Amino acid sequence: MENRLILKFVFLPLLIILTGFIAQRIGLNIHQIIALSIFSASVFATLLFWDFRVAIAFLGIAILLITKTVDLENMVKFASLEVILFLVGMMVLVGLLKEGGFFAWLVTLILRIRNLTAKKFVFIISILSALLSCCVDEVTSIIFMAAAILEICNYFEVDPTPFIIISILSTNIGSTGTVLGNPIGILIASKSGLTFEDFILKAFPIMWVCLLSAIFLVIIWYRKEIKKLGENIKNFGANEILIKLIRVPPERQLKIGLSIFALTLLFIALHHRLELLWGLETNTLLLSIPLISAGGVMLWRHSQARSYIEKDVDWWTLIFFLLLFAKAGTLKYTGVTEVLARKITYLVKGNPITLISSLLWTSAIGSSILDNVVLVAAFIPIVQSFKDLGFVVQPLWWALLFGGCFGGNITLVGSTANIVALGILEKEKNIRMTFFRWFWVGLTVGVVTTGVAWLALIWLPFYR
Amino acid sequence: MKIKEIMKKEVVSVKPEDNVMDALRFLFKMRISGLPVINAQGKLVGVFTEKDVLSHILPSYIEKVGRFIYEDNPKSTKKKFMELDKVKVSQLMRRDVITTNEDTGLCEVARIMLTQKARRLPVVDKSGKVVGIVAREDVVKAYAKEAEWKID
Repeated sequence: MENRLILKFVFLPLLIILTGFIAQRIGLNIHQIIALSIFSASVFATLLFWDFRVAIAFLGIAILLITKTVDLENMVKFASLEVILFLVGMMVLVGLLKEGGFFAWLVTLILRIRNLTAKKFVFIISILSALLSCCVDEVTSIIFMAAAILEICNYFEVDPTPFIIISILSTNIGSTGTVLGNPIGILIASKSGLTFEDFILKAFPIMWVCLLSAIFLVIIWYRKEIKKLGENIKNFGANEILIKLIRVPPERQLKIGLSIFALTLLFIALHHRLELLWGLETNTLLLSIPLISAGGVMLWRHSQARSYIEKDVDWWTLIFFLLLFAKAGTLKYTGVTEVLARKITYLVKGNPITLISSLLWTSAIGSSILDNVVLVAAFIPIVQSFKDLGFVVQPLWWALLFGGCFGGNITLVGSTANIVALGILEKEKNIRMTFFRWFWVGLTVGVVTTGVAWLALIWLPFYR
Repeated sequence: MKIKEIMKKEVVSVKPEDNVMDALRFLFKMRISGLPVINAQGKLVGVFTEKDVLSHILPSYIEKVGRFIYEDNPKSTKKKFMELDKVKVSQLMRRDVITTNEDTGLCEVARIMLTQKARRLPVVDKSGKVVGIVAREDVVKAYAKEAEWKID
């Protein structure tokens, strides 16, 4: 283990130097080379040194500042505090919902399904996984879905693995549906000026088509396992004991929590209209509504406020995002992304359809290996540079979103939801997912769903 | 006052290769909630407590799901408990153990117990060999003695 770590630490500087060398060969200046190398260091860190990524990000930012590659003012600007604060606000709200028992209540809804059949179960877990990841975030959503699936599969004595896989695939597909589903959703919205309404009109319907195609595929793929569950459900005579397994949480707190959440969703859905009405800058309300709700929650439950901020907010990840965004911004600031955009334009011969297709498939393949936030953060300044080159960029934003989310299904490390849920499965049932057990079904669903998005982006004038 | 003056020198412990069922029986017999785990070379390799057993038999997601109240025991807990005799102490024990040494002062040990929420600290020598153990009770009693307070 030690030796592998040392080897990787030797490997990292080599990779960075190689990036710098290639950057020099394509004619970048010294600041551009530094910006690109430091950003690549972050990307390699997420691949090789998951536990060290924040440390590497800190050092990288310091180097950018000391070498005058970026100044303080721009570094702070690129850090995209608005996106970070949005995520903090949503995490506080999710903390309240957890504490109020909202998710336990959702789990009991699944446990209490009347006349349960195996196919009904597959439909319900898929649709609920997708919708839940639309409304909260994919990681929170998958923990609760995994909990419900494990309880049910335990009860009916079947292997939970196929059903956990189905739920993960649906979660990743569902996370494209709204700006809330995935950090890349809010990141894209904030940088592109796309609104929640745009997501509902243009991403939500594709999400449904992809989800239904995926359900169709997994029903065929796992037909034997689904049949076995069906037989066991019949033999066990429905889920009477399951119905009593988890207590429905106290009503008052749950109702207040749910109302706050519903109001937040409603205002987020209406944010664009209200911004127009009140003459606010695009997405001002989208980004501040979670802050208003979180502020309200912390006033209401003031004795818990510190715990929401300290325990429910995932600072480790958010700090990494903040620094990553600053580094990605530096790529644009130094002009690296403009050079890359020009090269790409030359490669695709200026054809917008080829550009959309390559961006979609590159981000799908890229996010099957990399964290999709890292990938999207890198592509955002490039897409912004395409705007300066005269391209219509809206389809490119959608290509990033769909590629970044659907690609997460291709491998078992493609998205955080996969890692979290497979971790739970391993801990609970001692089932260790192998790369290929995941890969074939993940690849099929990943390619089909990306294909659906591809056809839509290319054929439907609606997305131009 | 140094820890060597108040620590218990006879350390009862379990071995990493012991099975969890036996280790648990031993805990019940001794009426304590946890024990150091010491290997054949006399070195401390972990601490085994009742808490480790609880966290093994309950679903692992229980700490992440917030308010999630089981009205009934899920099937899995009973099954996992029954399988404990196939599980080794080394699989459940906590490996990052806070220790102290013989020359540490009483107040420092009390501070560690408070800040690290430790109930008992194994006392080790320079080679990592366990030479004693000090429990919260021993520390409080030492303070009582210092204050010349008689315990009946």
